[in-house]
Amino acid sequence: MAGQLINDFKNGLWQENPIFRLVIGMCPTLAVTNTTENGLAMGIATLFVLLSSEIVISTIKKLIPSNVRIPSYILIIATFVTFVDYFLKAFFPSIAASLSLFVPLIVVNCLILGRQEAFASKNPVHRSIADALGMGLGFTWALTLLGAIREFLGMGSIFGLQILGAWYKPMIIMVLPAGAFISLGILVGIMNIISREG
Amino acid sequence: MEQFSQVLLLFVSTVLINNFILVRFLGICPFLGVSKQVETAFSMGLATTFVMTLTAASTWLINTFILEAFNLPFLQYVSFIIVIASLVQFVEMFIRKTSPVLYKALGIFLPLITTNCAILGLALLIPLNGYNFISSVVFGFGAGVGFTLAIVLMAGLREGLQFGDVPESLKGVPITLIIAGIMAMAFMGFSGLISM
Amino acid sequence: MNNKTSGLIITLTVIGIVSAILLAFVYQWTTPYIEKHQAKAQEAAVFTVLPEAERYQEVTKDGMTFFEGYDSANSRVGVAMVVTGGGFQGNIELMVGVDLSKQQINTISILNHQETPGLGARITEKAYRNNFANKPFGEYQVVKREPTDPMQVEAISGATISSEKVTIIVENAIQKIQQAYGGGA
Repeated sequence: MAGQLINDFKNGLWQENPIFRLVIGMCPTLAVTNTTENGLAMGIATLFVLLSSEIVISTIKKLIPSNVRIPSYILIIATFVTFVDYFLKAFFPSIAASLSLFVPLIVVNCLILGRQEAFASKNPVHRSIADALGMGLGFTWALTLLGAIREFLGMGSIFGLQILGAWYKPMIIMVLPAGAFISLGILVGIMNIISREG
Repeated sequence: MEQFSQVLLLFVSTVLINNFILVRFLGICPFLGVSKQVETAFSMGLATTFVMTLTAASTWLINTFILEAFNLPFLQYVSFIIVIASLVQFVEMFIRKTSPVLYKALGIFLPLITTNCAILGLALLIPLNGYNFISSVVFGFGAGVGFTLAIVLMAGLREGLQFGDVPESLKGVPITLIIAGIMAMAFMGFSGLISM
Repeated sequence: MNNKTSGLIITLTVIGIVSAILLAFVYQWTTPYIEKHQAKAQEAAVFTVLPEAERYQEVTKDGMTFFEGYDSANSRVGVAMVVTGGGFQGNIELMVGVDLSKQQINTISILNHQETPGLGARITEKAYRNNFANKPFGEYQVVKREPTDPMQVEAISGATISSEKVTIIVENAIQKIQQAYGGGA
């Protein structure tokens, strides 16, 4: 019982990591990871939406007719996303400003809808919570890592703290769209090597 | 005349300078998933352009005459996603009844379009940029054309790549992302094209 | 309409109504905080662009809103206004503060923008904003080297377009202020 929950939880962290292994939810992954802080904030916002919608959907799954389930899931997800958006605007205005458009776009993050369809609609609440936490944290650490790499190379800092001195000439390309694609491509390649050997 | 050139500028800048995929990072999922063959990529682009143009028109109307008129900004995300989902459903039914040939080509892509973040992103950008009705439609159409351009170019490159000697660990998604990065650099060259 | 379709419509309507009610509460709960942040940001911006002001008041002239700053002796030290214009990616909203007696800009403050992080976004940095400090009214020229003339603005390297757009928005604001307050050619 407990072993099953731990497996559900661990699954998203590495084996089926949404970014490095499943390669879903790419839009926010690429767009907001220009700094470490943005990556972390986006990860937490997504984790929250994923967790709340998996709880609600696995609870009421029997009440939703199967041919209308996708629109229903999207509606539930959109509600939680609006909540997160207003919450961030009210209490963390600077984070809300830097994530801007990509908070509402959590609605169409394939990761969230995908987990409802693949997991929450078939499994009981406690297992869905374990799955949401694992997937959400897996998403969060991957975003934070990507943000840290891009911020370090592109601005010489991590979490806004200047680490490299003035001698370092920042590779501005890393914080631009092109750098996002290339660094994620290389990271996924590295993860492929690690998982094949491990 | 003045207005016409404004609209034309908006179109060109939406397609090339602020390309939805390569500059704004919207619509990455289909860009990576449906770019293996030029033919399917083009069909996907066509279906997306069609839905985008309709989405632009209908979200402008809803935002102006319902959400703003009754001061309901908190329903923006929920109502936009409903509009997009029903629009996609409607387009699917319409095409199935009127043109079986087109349905065969586009049918399987249509359900995927609902969760294409380029569509919702487009809907959200319209009120944010304060476009009027005509500009919104042109913006939607331009976004679709830009999307088609990027996905078809990528598919062309990936078709050629089949004969290339790609390192084992970079096969599939990683190499596609790296190519997209190089394409994004190339598109940066357009940024000086228009100075309004 | 058969049973199945009505079942679908009922499910979606129920979810829609529950979500709308919940969101209405969220909206009511968060709106005061959001407005407080916006007011605070505006106040901070006014005191940045009108450094000599002790207090300020909002005035409407010709259908536009201006902020008039007053010092402790109650004399007007400057006028500020918020202007929006197209940037490189989306709209840029900024505040310009001017000294009417000297016919020059005090400084500017960027309120909202969607420029590229690391490039265009550097318009919010002091190094760029100082370009406009104590500049006489008129038309400015964006240059890619150290400015030699008071009417020149140094562009951010790699973000010439963003730099130009801001300059255009600032010129536009000055015109509006001059129209409303007379003075200047």
